[in-house]
Amino acid sequence: MSILLTYLPFVLAGTLYGFLFGLIPVAGAMTGLLTIYGFIEVFRSNPYTLVVFTTALVVSCSIGDLFASIVMNIPGGAGSAATMVDGFPMSKRGQAARALSAGIFSSVGQGLIWGILVFFFLPYYAPIVLSFAIPEMLCFLILAMTCVAFINSHYWFRGLLALAFGIFAGLIGQDPLNGMERFTGGWFYLAHGVQIVPVLAGFLAIPELLEALYLKAKHIPPPMNNFEQIKQGMKDAWRYRNDSVRGGIIGGVIGLLPGIGGSIVDWLAYGQTVALAKDDKIPFGEGNVRGVVGAEGAGMAQKATAYVPTVLFGVPAAPFEVIVMSLLMMVGIELGSVQLLTDMTFFHALSYGYMVSLAMTFVIALAFIKYASNITRIPLKYYFIPIIGVIIWSCVQYTGGWEDYVMLAICSILGMLFKYLKLSRACMIVGFVLAGRLEKTTIQFFTLYDWAAVFQRPISLTLILLTAVAIIYGIFFNKSKINYT
Amino acid sequence: MSKLKVILLAMAMGLCSIAQADYRFIVPQEPGNGTDIWARIVAREMEKKLGEKIIVENIPGANDVPGFNKFHNTLRKDPKVVMVAHGGNAESFLYQKVDYNYAEYDPIGLQNLTIMVGHRTDSDSYKMVTFPAASGTNPDVIAMTLLVCGPNKTMREYADCYRNHFKYVMGMTGNERKLSYIRGEVNSIRETPSAYFKNIQPIKENADWFNPGVLDIKTGNIVSDINFPNVFFIDVFKKKWGVTPAGDLYDSWMLVKNYRDVLQKALYVDKGNPNKDKLRKALADTLADPTSLAAIEKETGKYQWILGDDVLKAHAALEKLTTKKALKDLVWWVGVVLNQEAIYKDDIARKAH
Repeated sequence: MSILLTYLPFVLAGTLYGFLFGLIPVAGAMTGLLTIYGFIEVFRSNPYTLVVFTTALVVSCSIGDLFASIVMNIPGGAGSAATMVDGFPMSKRGQAARALSAGIFSSVGQGLIWGILVFFFLPYYAPIVLSFAIPEMLCFLILAMTCVAFINSHYWFRGLLALAFGIFAGLIGQDPLNGMERFTGGWFYLAHGVQIVPVLAGFLAIPELLEALYLKAKHIPPPMNNFEQIKQGMKDAWRYRNDSVRGGIIGGVIGLLPGIGGSIVDWLAYGQTVALAKDDKIPFGEGNVRGVVGAEGAGMAQKATAYVPTVLFGVPAAPFEVIVMSLLMMVGIELGSVQLLTDMTFFHALSYGYMVSLAMTFVIALAFIKYASNITRIPLKYYFIPIIGVIIWSCVQYTGGWEDYVMLAICSILGMLFKYLKLSRACMIVGFVLAGRLEKTTIQFFTLYDWAAVFQRPISLTLILLTAVAIIYGIFFNKSKINYT
Repeated sequence: MSKLKVILLAMAMGLCSIAQADYRFIVPQEPGNGTDIWARIVAREMEKKLGEKIIVENIPGANDVPGFNKFHNTLRKDPKVVMVAHGGNAESFLYQKVDYNYAEYDPIGLQNLTIMVGHRTDSDSYKMVTFPAASGTNPDVIAMTLLVCGPNKTMREYADCYRNHFKYVMGMTGNERKLSYIRGEVNSIRETPSAYFKNIQPIKENADWFNPGVLDIKTGNIVSDINFPNVFFIDVFKKKWGVTPAGDLYDSWMLVKNYRDVLQKALYVDKGNPNKDKLRKALADTLADPTSLAAIEKETGKYQWILGDDVLKAHAALEKLTTKKALKDLVWWVGVVLNQEAIYKDDIARKAH
């Protein structure tokens, strides 16, 4: 009981903090998580409080994202863009509260189902880890990189280019075979590799925040009959529960795939909802509530299942998980480690943070609907400057010298260039994060095994077959043109 | 706006915890690694006696060298900066290009630790020893080479034996090493005593474990680790081969193993640091407090502490082992046989004579 009370302030703080970032246009969970580097000392004395805080932030931010999408027509985060398509037309008709309510009920409902499946049973999935020897891990890493390049978008060649760039950046530093420096150009600052914080900030956060400077929020009329609309939204979520459940399944399965991330699940779920709906009075794209229910069913489910490969194998299932891994590493919690798999305090903190935050966010989000239209009137300066300030501060903690600023500038310029050229930044990040691991696992594989081992072991063979399927699907069947980043 | 204030307040809390810090422990590793954990426990207990706040600052980098170099080149001039050095730093000092030099610092204290080495016996595994490599594992693979290849060989004969019977698996993190060992992919491993108790002892595997011994700084000999009394390396070797180990590779092992173990966890400040005595007293008081000592030993096991100027005697004991021949053989072994970066530093050997 005392442990639960210890965590409670951190869940509440994480929930409020995440919800705030959800409300901020295009900021999202990744930006919110990045700012934690600025005050990570708060969590040093009890690392589990950071588990609770980050989990609560991810949960509440995912639901908070809805607001900017529906009332401002600007995606609150990477996974809530599809919600805009029908959500904003509903807002223009004065039905913002109904759209928000339907989205919240759909999101929380699926979040609850998938949260129970993931967090309550996660410790029991741990034995799977022992089945993953070096050949399986090598195939898993190859599958992760293949998925992110070939499934994320139809533009697989751009994905491969970005992935190759990320792998190269990830290999800068030290050769694991002989300890010699490589690819550093003689710059000693790079001897320990490119640091992850400026890469994440430069590629993911800063381009989005700068873009927000140029986005104009559209004003909507304040919702009328607020309570009635909330009730109607709840009924919509129940009436179209099949769309919500289908979205949840899509989100849940995609979340399990390493490296994919959340930016495509809402579109996949939305696409399936549109494809299977017939004879609806209101066309999709003009304010059909089913579009909101279907798309929002996927988001929380994906967030929940993304924790499975991240916690069990230390292979991030989404870009936000990269930041979670890095943050937890800073307080001494190594995801995918042997010790962690037997650490029930960690699992309790994770499930506690998720479930309590889900309940808190549900209440906060419903209560906030009344004020939703006001967020379009908050001047940008009130959130832009503090966020940029904290991110820069976080990036210059490595050495504190001019090199940190230069590195952040390089990463930001490259990030904006990637965005401009429509090169997948998710591919770059996954390549960067997994490059070292891929190289080392390859070395270990060829020291202890030969190629035949891959085809003689059922799990590695299955993973190789899945990789082949992903490549074939990406080249010949993937029509998704909606996501370049 | 009120929520913005909450954010700013949270940020300020983080900043304040740094601003209020009086002492900084510089750890050359990322958070969560062995030395980082040790430093945090020692700092937490020392704070109580010092009456001032200590923060642990991580400056990681290749082979854990940049953090120590930074201490040497810039940070040590700050009288409130303390270096937390570890065994990997001592190994790097022997045969890599580094800026730091132990002779230029005043010691606060160190813990004379060792590392357990284990080998699975549930298969015919001595024919091919698969050993995961990491920072600081070179002494362990040399010990294993002595054990597998036997006594009285030349360096080249040992090298041939090593090449025929060993696979040194590069690039594994601590976590991967443990998992691979538990799964049986590698048949040998090394663990700190605390990690051994936590990770290995509960799984009850069929394995031979040995403790490589702890250096007695008075005699210059190694003695069995009291935490693992029945599996002293010298005894295990003698039982297997009928004689005690000796020879050139053994001398090189004694050199590198003892540098690593004696300097495994050590606190240093710049020479002439005005806070030296205050820090030494705080550490001595911490270790005299049974509660604080128990908290530290819970993580590290029961190992000897060497405090203040007695550390210089430990340095002297290590210098005695640093003969030109032993150092040259060690550099040859690391560079040629293990294929790692290694340079011979004549000034280290010369100082010993």
